[in-house]
Amino acid sequence: MSSLVCRRVGKVWAAPHGLAVEALRGIDLAVSAGEFVAILGPSGCGKSTLLEMIAGLESRTSGDILIDGAPVTGPNPKAVMVFQEHALFPWLSVEDNVAFGLKMKGVALWDRRERAREVLRKVRLTPFAKHYPHQLSGGMKQRVAIARALVGNPEFILMDEPFAALDFQTRVLMQQFLLEIWASFKSTILFVTHQIDEAILLADRIVVMSAGPGAVIEEVPVTLPRPRSYTSEGFNEYRVRLTAHMEREVMKAHAAELA
Amino acid sequence: MAPRSPLASWLIIAAASLAPWAVIVAVWELAAVKGWLQSSLLPPPSSFIRYAIESDFKVGFGREAMAIPAAILASAYRVIVGLALGFVAAVATGIAISMSRIAKWSFLPVIRGLAPIAPIAWIPIGIILFGVGNGTAIFVVFVGVYFLLTLSTVAAVQSVDERMIKTARTYGATPRQVWLWVIFPAVLPQVFTMLRLNFFAAWMAVLAAEMVGLKNGVGMMVILGREMFNGNLIMLGICIVGITGYVVDSALLFVQRKLLWWSGEGAMAR
Repeated sequence: MSSLVCRRVGKVWAAPHGLAVEALRGIDLAVSAGEFVAILGPSGCGKSTLLEMIAGLESRTSGDILIDGAPVTGPNPKAVMVFQEHALFPWLSVEDNVAFGLKMKGVALWDRRERAREVLRKVRLTPFAKHYPHQLSGGMKQRVAIARALVGNPEFILMDEPFAALDFQTRVLMQQFLLEIWASFKSTILFVTHQIDEAILLADRIVVMSAGPGAVIEEVPVTLPRPRSYTSEGFNEYRVRLTAHMEREVMKAHAAELA
Repeated sequence: MAPRSPLASWLIIAAASLAPWAVIVAVWELAAVKGWLQSSLLPPPSSFIRYAIESDFKVGFGREAMAIPAAILASAYRVIVGLALGFVAAVATGIAISMSRIAKWSFLPVIRGLAPIAPIAWIPIGIILFGVGNGTAIFVVFVGVYFLLTLSTVAAVQSVDERMIKTARTYGATPRQVWLWVIFPAVLPQVFTMLRLNFFAAWMAVLAAEMVGLKNGVGMMVILGREMFNGNLIMLGICIVGITGYVVDSALLFVQRKLLWWSGEGAMAR
């Protein structure tokens, strides 16, 4: 059974002139297989940094991050990161973007084409295999980015505000798409967002973070039955509770900035 | 307004781009006929084109005679080979320098010191190193673009989207693979744009090299015209220099659009 555990994780950025900025303090987090966990917090609370530390792209200053009991020391095929759609390689076709990770691992051309096509078929992108990113809409690009993550069968998919740059309609479609993927691939998803509604719609559990330094202030299990919609019964109770939290955090961060 | 048919819009574009040339030629011819210009010094197109046909598209005398198309090819060859070598060498050097901070500290100041030297200033050194011939012309074009393009490669490497690099790393790319499969393709369009901007300076440098040393190419046509006090040859040479430069620049633009189309904004816009 795959598992992800963060124990007392902290991050301090060294800043010029000997100053140091504490970005994250004492993060405790446990994610088990098949869960959909949203990390919700105001901008600048270090939630993206936390995700990058879990992906092994950023070092931690203190604490432990364990995937299946082993400490994270660098990029790890078990936990891959999906950024906003800009992170597609514009010089590669959709198919080659999806196969990129396989190519880095030295998988033979024929084999990686095969596997990329298989994933593209599952995410219904087969007609676009030979297209280039600039020929796709924002939502399509994001689907390619997700397909690229799926091709290596990772245990954890780490998503850093993947839909933040999309318009509302596209975002709704992408959220449904992600839930389908989550159900059919049985992946475990850790999803960073600053949008309250998005977190309630998607997640089994919402981890609420505060800013300056980033810390976990609350974990909210979402027990609404699936499929959910923004107008589901009970959606509003979660929205009110989380909005109150966020407001308080935003005001606190603002006051700290002015001080 | 009713939408235009493709043919109509093509005709409008053609007319708009040819009209200024037609006006220039018309005024020039009129000035020659009215005697506002001394046509032996500034002959109009009708005169120097007739001259080219009458001299069977050849310039010079005896053993030094040279066909005009051969002169054009000689000059174009020099500038294209010089640009190609300069581009490849600059991208390689720029990436190599960017890979190590020590290399950056030691080599970048040297390149920044050599970059401001005008390509023309390298002509005497080229002649010493390579003698009077193609080698010198190619060398002058090479140094004319190499230092600037190396600097622009270093700048382009620094501006590669961090998220692209992180994506490559999350999919298991080693640092070496990141350089080869992400940073290298990401910088090509930007450096090529700089190559196009610097092409004109390189073209002028070739002409200058042909005027002072190499006794062939289109640059030599102009200087031969001056030596023989032949206004027709001077004007013909100037026109050919302009047209050839335009054609080579169009070829570079074609390469940029068809082979290196993924520059950040360019790719976004389409």
